[in-house]
Amino acid sequence: MHTIQPEWQIMRDRLRLGWRGYAAAGVYAALVILVMLAARYQWSIGSVELANPYYLHNLTLIGINVILVASLNLVNGYLGEFAIGHAGFLAVGAYASSVVTLLFHQSFWVALPVGALAGAVVGYLIALPAFKTFGDYLAIVTLGFNMIIVNIIQNLEVIGGPRGWGGQPKMTSFWLVAVVAGLSLIILRNLVYSNYGRVWLAIRENEIAAEMMGVDVMRYKMIAFVIAAFFAGLAGALWAHYQQYIHPSSFTYLRTTDLLVMLYLGGMASLSGSVLGVTIMTVLLESLRGVLSQFNLAEWRMVISPLVLIVIMLTRPQGLMGNREFAFVPRREEVPRREPARG
Amino acid sequence: MYTVIIQQALNALQLGAIYALIALGYSMVYGIIRLINFAHGDIFMVGAYIGLGVALFLKPPFLVLVLVTMGLTALLGVTIERVAYRRLRHAQRMSAVITALGVGIFLENFVRAAISANPQAYPVLIAPRTLSLSGVSTTNVQLMVIGVSIALMLVLRYIIRQTMLGKAMRAVSDNKEVVPLMGINLNLIVSATFALGSALAAAGGIFYGQAYPMIDPYMGIVIGWKAFISAVMGGIGQVDGAMLGGFILGTVEVIGATFRSTLRDGIAFAILILVLLIKPTGLLGRPVTKKV
Repeated sequence: MHTIQPEWQIMRDRLRLGWRGYAAAGVYAALVILVMLAARYQWSIGSVELANPYYLHNLTLIGINVILVASLNLVNGYLGEFAIGHAGFLAVGAYASSVVTLLFHQSFWVALPVGALAGAVVGYLIALPAFKTFGDYLAIVTLGFNMIIVNIIQNLEVIGGPRGWGGQPKMTSFWLVAVVAGLSLIILRNLVYSNYGRVWLAIRENEIAAEMMGVDVMRYKMIAFVIAAFFAGLAGALWAHYQQYIHPSSFTYLRTTDLLVMLYLGGMASLSGSVLGVTIMTVLLESLRGVLSQFNLAEWRMVISPLVLIVIMLTRPQGLMGNREFAFVPRREEVPRREPARG
Repeated sequence: MYTVIIQQALNALQLGAIYALIALGYSMVYGIIRLINFAHGDIFMVGAYIGLGVALFLKPPFLVLVLVTMGLTALLGVTIERVAYRRLRHAQRMSAVITALGVGIFLENFVRAAISANPQAYPVLIAPRTLSLSGVSTTNVQLMVIGVSIALMLVLRYIIRQTMLGKAMRAVSDNKEVVPLMGINLNLIVSATFALGSALAAAGGIFYGQAYPMIDPYMGIVIGWKAFISAVMGGIGQVDGAMLGGFILGTVEVIGATFRSTLRDGIAFAILILVLLIKPTGLLGRPVTKKV
């Protein structure tokens, strides 16, 4: 007697974390707590402090960049489009949240969701025209909107205009970023493994075939784009209240390219790859900072990341972890079971 | 009143000529290998720096300077294609685009590290003289920029329409698979396209240095994008379209700058998006169909 499983059960089974998933979450939580304990009690080995402010600062930046890169992966990796305007949504989140805290004098806890929602709304408005195009042109349109967003900010005196805008309360700390980044990764993972994720992959593999299977391609593309913009806005709100100063020039396409380098190094369509890419690039660039300045070559540090991007594309275009995940976060592919022949 | 219009028209022609010179490179490369060469704006920037170097160390006469710089920059363009793009010709299209993005940033940061992040003053290569004719005043530099640019574009048009090289380029643009079967060396044609495009961009770089006398490592971003907008507006892949688009964008910017100059980048990109949404193949472009 064979019964058809209801759809929600299939979905639930597919999203189930499994023991490895719980273990990964547990290890992550333990690491975060360890870092915070190390910072609180100033643990040190010899004279080296384990969690000194410099390390904490870099860990915080890694966390913010993980949110950005993992959400960009949704569009560029899973959906297979090439959007290069992510820094624009970062800007929207940063400025919208600062408007809430600085102009309306509301709490940061209001500003954080407002920044994320502002990113999503702007993402929706941009996606409406942008997804009428595809391929190279989508890249150009998203980049064009990024430039327009920056240009508008430069022309709005009330939010600082070309001089930048400072004075945000310092509300973002390591633990907050760690929590938000962890939650974002879980949400993104569930999205990717849900029916939405399946549809995105279907669109990536063959858009026309997906359309013929009855997929509303435009709608699913927009959903991915808006979600990515939401997380970029969230990261922007975190960033504005961490740096306490934002400037239009930090949201140009150079910023997007930094994210692209991390994304493609880590790997397309791989969340653990995104984490890996961000970590490797941050550690690499920070350690080069010290090494190069010894030889008076500090300026050459900036040449490294485009070189990394070129070398990856020439040698391993899918990135380190392309389409695969760490064993820690296994992809639960249900193997189609052969039904016994009936009749 | 009409003197102002003529005056502004000359300014628009000068800006448009520089955009058009760069736009031609975008358009030709796209026509040949369907790649948006994101690094082209930075080739223009490097061309301007090479011109600066040649001017400072060799001090040749102006036309020799332009030709030497064009040659050296053409070499750079060919090298970039050989090292970074050729291996990706049959890979996923996006890989090449991302590589181009990387090459562009590499060039910017390389020049920044090797020379300086600060803007460099461009040497005066032609003694400026102000000419005025019934109330319209212009400089010999402005006329030279417009004149030489148009001459270069006509030469390019001749190459593409009348020579065997041009014929081969048009054939490659039409069908990349069949052309090698006809005994045409595909790699040679692609290299020649990059050489021509980079040489024109270098000329644009020198003229830019003469007309707006400061250059910096990041100038290729904005100007490159404006040139790209011109190419798309005219119909990317179309040589005449690139020229037309350059002059249109130059005109729009000069008009726009009389209202509010800080919005000009935003306006340029808004035009780009409008063109892409209304007529994605540009003013002179042929329609493309999506095939299964």
